[in-house]
Amino acid sequence: MSITRRIFLRNGALAVVGTAALPSFLTRAADGALSLGRGNQRLVVIFQRGAADGLNIVVPHGEPAYYSMRPSINIPRNAVLDLDGFFGLHPAMASLRPLWNQRHLAIVHAAGSPDPTRSHFDAQDFMESGTPGVKATEDGWLNRALHALPTPDEKSAFRAIALGPSLPRILSGSEPAVAVNNIHDFGVGGRNANAAPMANTFEAMYEHSLDSVLHGTGQETFEAVKMLKSANPSQYTPAPGADYPRGRFSESLQQLAQLIKANLGVEVAFADLGGWDHHVNEGSTQGQIANVLRDFSQSLSAFWTDLGDLAEDTVIVTMSEFGRTARENGNRGTDHGHANVMFIMGGPVKGGKVYGRWPGLEQSQLYEGRDLAVTTDFRRVLGEAVYEHLRNKSLDRVFPGFENKPDAFLKYLG
Amino acid sequence: MRFYQRKIALLLILLTLLMAGVFAFSKKKDKKDPVNGPDERKRAVHALNRLTFGPRPGDVERVAAMGVDKWIEFELHPDKIDDGALEARLAPFRTLRMGTQQLAENFPPPEMIKAVAEGKQRMPSDPAKRAVYQAQLEKYQEKRERKLAASSSARPDSAASGEATKKPEPGDDEMARQREAKLYADLKAQELLDLPPDERMKEILKMSPDEQRELARSKDRDDLMEGLSPQQKETLMAINNPQQVVVSELIEAKLLRAIYGERQLDEVMTDFWFNHFNIFIGKGPDRYLVTSYERDVIRPHALGKFEDLLAATAKSPAMLFYLDNWLSVGPDSDFALGVPKRVPRRPGYYRRRFPNNLPKERPPLQAKNKQRRGLNENYGRELMELHTLGVNGGYTQRDVTEVARVFTGWTIEQPKKGGGFRFEERMHEPGNKIVLGHRIKPKGEKEGMEVLRILARHPSTAKFISTKLALRFVSDNPPPALVDRMAQTFLKKDGDIREVLRTMFYSPEFWAPDTYRVKVKTPLEFVVSAVRATGAEVQDAMPLVRTLNTMGMPLYGMQPPTGYSMKADTWVNSSALLGRMNFALALSNGKVKGIGVEPDHVLGSAPSDAEGTLAALENALLAGDVSKQTHETILKQLDEPQISKRRLDDPARPPDVAGIAGLILGSPEFQRR
Repeated sequence: MSITRRIFLRNGALAVVGTAALPSFLTRAADGALSLGRGNQRLVVIFQRGAADGLNIVVPHGEPAYYSMRPSINIPRNAVLDLDGFFGLHPAMASLRPLWNQRHLAIVHAAGSPDPTRSHFDAQDFMESGTPGVKATEDGWLNRALHALPTPDEKSAFRAIALGPSLPRILSGSEPAVAVNNIHDFGVGGRNANAAPMANTFEAMYEHSLDSVLHGTGQETFEAVKMLKSANPSQYTPAPGADYPRGRFSESLQQLAQLIKANLGVEVAFADLGGWDHHVNEGSTQGQIANVLRDFSQSLSAFWTDLGDLAEDTVIVTMSEFGRTARENGNRGTDHGHANVMFIMGGPVKGGKVYGRWPGLEQSQLYEGRDLAVTTDFRRVLGEAVYEHLRNKSLDRVFPGFENKPDAFLKYLG
Repeated sequence: MRFYQRKIALLLILLTLLMAGVFAFSKKKDKKDPVNGPDERKRAVHALNRLTFGPRPGDVERVAAMGVDKWIEFELHPDKIDDGALEARLAPFRTLRMGTQQLAENFPPPEMIKAVAEGKQRMPSDPAKRAVYQAQLEKYQEKRERKLAASSSARPDSAASGEATKKPEPGDDEMARQREAKLYADLKAQELLDLPPDERMKEILKMSPDEQRELARSKDRDDLMEGLSPQQKETLMAINNPQQVVVSELIEAKLLRAIYGERQLDEVMTDFWFNHFNIFIGKGPDRYLVTSYERDVIRPHALGKFEDLLAATAKSPAMLFYLDNWLSVGPDSDFALGVPKRVPRRPGYYRRRFPNNLPKERPPLQAKNKQRRGLNENYGRELMELHTLGVNGGYTQRDVTEVARVFTGWTIEQPKKGGGFRFEERMHEPGNKIVLGHRIKPKGEKEGMEVLRILARHPSTAKFISTKLALRFVSDNPPPALVDRMAQTFLKKDGDIREVLRTMFYSPEFWAPDTYRVKVKTPLEFVVSAVRATGAEVQDAMPLVRTLNTMGMPLYGMQPPTGYSMKADTWVNSSALLGRMNFALALSNGKVKGIGVEPDHVLGSAPSDAEGTLAALENALLAGDVSKQTHETILKQLDEPQISKRRLDDPARPPDVAGIAGLILGSPEFQRR
């Protein structure tokens, strides 16, 4: 897309009058009826499981210590896709570069959890519960983010969805949430029409069940099945230019786009991808990290293109449980570290900027003498999206025990 | 007080029994076990649900008649249980009995093919093996040519002619050729299908490697395999992807063991420990190493001493590779400092240490392994967090680094060729280490053994392991008092796993009414218990394998070292429930390929009316533990003609047994054990 939405919105409507093939939201804007989809805002959360190496993803190429600490796995200055003279993207992320240029992509560096754990399991748990250090929290913050929200007249069964075979911690809680592994198999008996009575029987069985856990999930499931059937998302084809790569993550995002475009009332969604735990032979411009980053970036870029004008109401946030050691280890890899990088994409995002305070990589600046220090609590980043985008003002309930005042936001949403 | 509680518990059990009886055993009340009292049947159901992968037809009666306690003792001593039938089923899977080197040789990984291509290794003479190598060699050459073409076209000043600057992608001609080859392969497959199996195999081996590969990928591949001996099947599979043979035989065997093994507790515990010391089979040479890991490391210690099990995993090439310890080098070791190899201290020192491999096969470490330069703390951390102490077990980052220093030099002899454990002195970090406050004096390999011993006997370990066992066998929130008693047994009996289990199995908490059918089954437990309950005959376990993949529980396929969750919240969600209902219907209707189910057999000589059929199936598949709600829902649906298959003109037509069985297997009740 040559003109970006933002430029258009800022420069006024007249510039595009008479231009053919406009995204519909632009014509809405031109009509003066722009209401940026009140009630249609959605938040998509992406988890990079396994502790992605933020220092090789958004590279501090203006930092000499970066190169001295990573003699064999650094991203050379001439290979980095420079962003602002100090930071640059890993070259495998080229597909997201246009979004940065269009200012739809923002970055927060040195973000993370204040908890010192370097256990994948615990750190993921804390990031999903939204309560670092507190294991007793039973629900996830993305579920709570819906909790106090004024609901539309009719609650959609697809209000909260996770793409994958199980419902992650981040979405568990009192608000109904569904896990969708594959929308084509999402039903009883598949395409077999004779299975309808069986499906009905199962539905009644779970509806009447006294097993509270299975009863609840069963009801949510059958509601979602019915909704999906009536929306008939199988007519979907990806938008032109949305080149989804092969792979599970890409498929997840494609199915998510399908559900969003079928107008199923998705408000929060979650997808994840693993393969970031590079203790050995991490690689530099090529190799393991390049491969997984390419998958990550191309999938997100295709998703963005596919959403078309619906991207205007969408905010996508990425996170990973912690970063990796500032120094490379003895095997051309990195071990478990602390702070990391987060990406935020979306129509309302004030992109083209790296947010957060950079703590530096000199020995004295490192956390415990080995890792990038956290200067932005991940809850501050997420809190802003929940508050400004989802319009849930009760942040004390979404992130209990954390002071999350709007005036301390990074203001990447305005 | 306690007396009072027990009384209530007893009353509850009786009440539940009575309720179940009203619906399911109304005609079989007199079948109660005469010797061991009315409780025994229910106790048998509970014990079978927890100690096995689910009861098979007749199991409940058998265990109740034997006496539940006696049966538990049997299960705790698997060596006394005859497992001949299972062994016969597993006999065709040759890879299960092969050593790692043999696996790599018979089912060559890319490195092996490269060695043959470069003339460093000889081509095997056996025709079947040869066919496998030939096909892989050709694949390898093709890949190299493509690479060469690509790199020469990338250089504009290349001396090559204009042709070489063309794009490396397949042109129209190439596409047409591929299409033709595929068409030909499909035709050829049709021809081959008419031949008797032996002739068919002979013909296949005569074909060119190219043709063989096309054939192995053709749509008739499964039919082509029919009637072939397992070894012939293996060859055909290996032509396309040799490594896959090893992995799929292991996965199939795991399912067959769970379904048909008589030593059920042993299988459950092997699964438990594998998951505890999890390894992802998709990581490089672990594709070959996991077969031996489960067979030689996990299984022999499943009911043994924890310390032995821990030490065996620590030394296993599979774990050393998976958690990267084989590459970890002490920063001040001779190896890292580039100190040249010293002359052996005493004549024969190295030979005694590494009798088979010195000096010829020792890799020139310095030159070859540029990636080994320093510490890797991956294993050190997971050893304490996941294998022993637990994340809150009282260790620090400092301890992680120190443990990593202790285990430097614990490495593998040529992992890609299936070599074993080796302690490499030159990679080992010299000097004292301090682990959890203990000073570990320099003594090479023995430092690691000392640390394993400290960890294996640590109170945090006792508690962590006991909690996890109780989570598997008792409930998602195991009673702390029970965990404490198990941990005490663990410490008192030197980590004797059998004793810890015994403490648990004979505890009142294990038998408390609120634990009965409270555990939600994992996908593996669900699929296997359904197959067992129906008494199905599994000819091909691969469809079950695929089911587990889509349910989010690929066997040996958990990438992070945490292993799979055993808690309900992980496995109860929309996607999973639909998957379970669909599998239940497919299984009972005989729609799962390779699995023969005859629900009528389960039924026995039940009355042929709908209600009688339902009651009999509830009894057979769920020991009658079907709620009133579920029972009535199904009963109501029996009037639906599509389910009952009854027609007005044919009232005698029997009810749809398969359909009802599917509904029961997909019911909320069957999701718990």
